[in-house]
Amino acid sequence: MSDLRPESKPDAKLDPIARKVRAGERLSFEDGVALFHHPDLLAIGQLANEVREKLHGDRTYFNRNMRIEVTNVCVASCLFCSFAKLEEGAPGAVTMKLEEAWRELEVRMSDPPAEIHIVNGLHPGLPFSYYEELLKGFKRIKPDVHMKCFTAVEIHFFAQHYGMTHEQVLVRLREAGLDSLPGGGAEIFHPEVRSRISHDKATAEEYLEVHRVAHRLGMATNATMLYGHIETFEHRVDHMLRLRALQDESMSSPARLQAFIPLAFHPDGNGMKNLPAPTGIDDLRTLAVSRLMMDNIPHLKAYWVSMTPKIAQVGLRFGADDLDGTIVHETIYSAAGSTSPSGLKYDQLVRLIREAGRIPVERDTLYNVVREHAREALPEAAFKVKDRKAEKHLVVL
Amino acid sequence: MSVLTDRAIVAAGLAPIAEARRAGDLARVRELASILETADLLAVGALADRIRADESGDVVRIFANVLADLGADVVQVSLADENRLGFAILRRVAIARITGPRAARVRVDWSESGLEVAQVALGFGASELVGPIANRRGLPIADGSALKVKGQGMVQVQALKKKELESLLAIAGRRAVFAESSPRPSTESANHV
Repeated sequence: MSDLRPESKPDAKLDPIARKVRAGERLSFEDGVALFHHPDLLAIGQLANEVREKLHGDRTYFNRNMRIEVTNVCVASCLFCSFAKLEEGAPGAVTMKLEEAWRELEVRMSDPPAEIHIVNGLHPGLPFSYYEELLKGFKRIKPDVHMKCFTAVEIHFFAQHYGMTHEQVLVRLREAGLDSLPGGGAEIFHPEVRSRISHDKATAEEYLEVHRVAHRLGMATNATMLYGHIETFEHRVDHMLRLRALQDESMSSPARLQAFIPLAFHPDGNGMKNLPAPTGIDDLRTLAVSRLMMDNIPHLKAYWVSMTPKIAQVGLRFGADDLDGTIVHETIYSAAGSTSPSGLKYDQLVRLIREAGRIPVERDTLYNVVREHAREALPEAAFKVKDRKAEKHLVVL
Repeated sequence: MSVLTDRAIVAAGLAPIAEARRAGDLARVRELASILETADLLAVGALADRIRADESGDVVRIFANVLADLGADVVQVSLADENRLGFAILRRVAIARITGPRAARVRVDWSESGLEVAQVALGFGASELVGPIANRRGLPIADGSALKVKGQGMVQVQALKKKELESLLAIAGRRAVFAESSPRPSTESANHV
């Protein structure tokens, strides 16, 4: 077996990066690209894990949340999307009546979510008051529920469509009950990719501007990156650096980016269906590089819906400190062929985290601790993951 | 393998196991093995990966849609328990490599683990993959089915899927060798862990 002596095999690419990370120095664009290309995934994971443990120890966050998509009618024609229908009345097009949307919460009031996460298509035919009433209705049912709604792409669409500024849109929605913004819609910022996969919605600058304004108004936000399609590693690193720069600006604002969520591309039923989905190794590497590159964004989510609960769990050793939440009813990834379940129970999330040797911490949307669990594992029988569309684990080829 | 992983192996207290393995003292390795159940997963994986690289090289044998042989050097990691998650699967694979016979063929069935985890397992000591070629929904693809691919004309779907699998492994830094067919051997000689 090869030698174990630390001084025996210096790594000209990784060692200088490791030194920078340990000294608290920022990584450069070139460092990020080198990390993506480096063959030793476990070494990169180790480094990301060091940063993760320095920031959060063994604490791993999750929340009680639910997803609602009130309309999938959308004027944008993103190549990667399997969820949107272009016109009202098209097969599969759905726009909920307000009462139907509120009912989603009412039926869950025996075990209510702490957060409602709403993401929609860009519907050209709804009045702005629909969204205001939507928020007000949820708050009427559960005044303390946190409304994390509408991506920056939606906010930008509202501004254009209803003739307002980003700030005016955000202020009006906040008055109606909006608490924070989710991170969706970022895709890949670089114009070489964005112009090909989502040319007719908010640009990178417009996406970032909405977040900038939200932060100025004291509204926390998240950010995402859709990876594993036509983009290169350089595009991914560029994306991360733009978010890091935004966060630098927002440090003087009353709110900022809370979490980064890499989203794995799923190819079923969309305009890029001939591409393979990203692999487990790519998922883990992307998590690790994200943790190392974005030193000013406190939390990194292993979004189990996009990368399966198994890989998300392993991701807790590759830099991630958050598993998102129970979610309850996810439809966007489901439409794109994800075999992850559409929701996880509270105890399932707790076990997922404990089995990774971490401490489960239930949080609210703003990362205030609701409950810190003990480290011990639950009995084996408490947990059982089944794929959504079959009895056992599926082969994904 | 880099200095980082070297240090992680030492920091996790796995150096004595590494030494015993290098000396070919499998009894000592197994005596010390209890630490592998609790040590840092990435350090355990790094040790397993090092043993795999040294003893078995970078080739990954794939038994796709064919019966895999079960010789004495095969360590089949049984993952049929639905309760098992990614963390436990990878640890089990790594322990199989570290405590298994020299140059063992550590095998993972992707119909049990899922292909994503099976691919990651190749970095935790696995050297063979076995399973059916199926579509994304888990349904088997018939032998004769073909698909029109832009620029390539009609292509056999199974051949296409094998190519995809090959490139998947290349991303993991490994070389795929497909076993074309194998007679069903006796199951008595296989090691199941």
